[in-house]
Amino acid sequence: MADPVITTIEIILMVPVALILGVLFLFLFRKLNARFQWRVGPVIRMYSDLAPLIGKTRIWQPLYDILKLFGKDTIITDVAHRRLFVYSPYFSLLFAISAAFFIPFPGMELLSSVPYSLVIASYLIISSILFTILGPVASGSPWGAIGARREVELFLVSELSFVLSIFSIALSSGTLVISEIAGRGWSAPSILLSLTSGLLLFVAMLGKLHIKPFDMPEAEAEIVAGPYTEYSGKLLGIYFLSKTFLTYVLVALFIALILPPASTSIFWLPAWAFAAMVLVFLLTVVQVLNPRYRINNALYWYVKVVIPVGLVSFIIAFFIRVVA
Amino acid sequence: MGIIDRARVYSPWLYHLHCGGCNGCDIETLAALAPRFDAERFGIQLVASPRHADILVTTGCVPKQFIPMVKRVYEQVPEPKVVVAIGGCACGGSLFYEEEPENYAILGSPDLMIPVDVYVPGCAPKPEQIINGIVQGILKLAAKGSSRKRREV
Repeated sequence: MADPVITTIEIILMVPVALILGVLFLFLFRKLNARFQWRVGPVIRMYSDLAPLIGKTRIWQPLYDILKLFGKDTIITDVAHRRLFVYSPYFSLLFAISAAFFIPFPGMELLSSVPYSLVIASYLIISSILFTILGPVASGSPWGAIGARREVELFLVSELSFVLSIFSIALSSGTLVISEIAGRGWSAPSILLSLTSGLLLFVAMLGKLHIKPFDMPEAEAEIVAGPYTEYSGKLLGIYFLSKTFLTYVLVALFIALILPPASTSIFWLPAWAFAAMVLVFLLTVVQVLNPRYRINNALYWYVKVVIPVGLVSFIIAFFIRVVA
Repeated sequence: MGIIDRARVYSPWLYHLHCGGCNGCDIETLAALAPRFDAERFGIQLVASPRHADILVTTGCVPKQFIPMVKRVYEQVPEPKVVVAIGGCACGGSLFYEEEPENYAILGSPDLMIPVDVYVPGCAPKPEQIINGIVQGILKLAAKGSSRKRREV
């Protein structure tokens, strides 16, 4: 493990880096989404006559949304379980930020070299999502409860895909330390493994970030705003902040696990950024091409696709482990 | 202007409250958000829950059965908030409003029960007018937000 002083500095530096990158990924997602729908989306360079009034750029639009929510009143309903309702967003944010510390970024190893860091990171991601379920359940709103129930069902199947993916990679490289997995070499069977487990991790990301075929927990037209229905003001802002960090965490984890050397050295930063942009682009393509699944269709789809691909992935990983 | 006041101007979220209109104004309101006028360029978004909203956009003259719902939705929007009434019916009840004898079913404009900040007349107003009305609403929102005491209970 690296020098504790350097690791501490890296951890302090990681919070703003993760926030900025998360905001940029969400901006890119919104902008591409708008372009696919033949709209302009949040403008990158504001029209010159409007710029003095409403700012020069809207690249930070997701951050403005969060800041605005911090300046609004927070309403807590009488029927809510007050303590759980108020603290859940904070815990969700805490776990999402701490998950970012276990995932390497080009030039920053952080805590990714501690033993079992892969297991710790995946548990932190799970805990963050778990608190986005607990808060709405405590809100006492039927819409929040329906949203949370759908979230639980989706979470179970997307977790299956997530676990199959990360552990087939761990099996092939014989370690549970993210920094060792991120520094592994390439071979012909490992490219094949990256394809299958990359597909699984991508599908898991769709479920965790609520991207179109799997956005039934937040289905606006059916169940108001799903889990977030009763949240307002600062608490909603904290949930959005947590989602921003989670977006960064999942993208960084994908690159660290699936595209090995890209998160090891600072010289790989352009490649890392390019890979992240391509990943966000692919997520947007899936979002704009698909309608919303019903929850039972989504479960069936996950089981039908994820289990065979997961099995293939495990067989390849086993082959790499035994033969190579 | 502080960063939060600035953010309030940069990201106004709308909640569309349809109270008993003919749908004309609703179609025009949605057209203001669709590709041709695309209000998301300036961060204006339609949200699903009144608890997330900054601006309440109402259309139509309010039927008497709908009065409690309008009041409740208004109270659910957290402060600071602005109400924009769109269309002739929402501005003054239009031809459905009768003073004496009172109409048996229709109350009239929503400003008889909730405070309305901006009126956009027309039957139905064009998307440009609606966007202009929302911009007026944003200016009022900014004024309300900055004059608000920070340490309210």
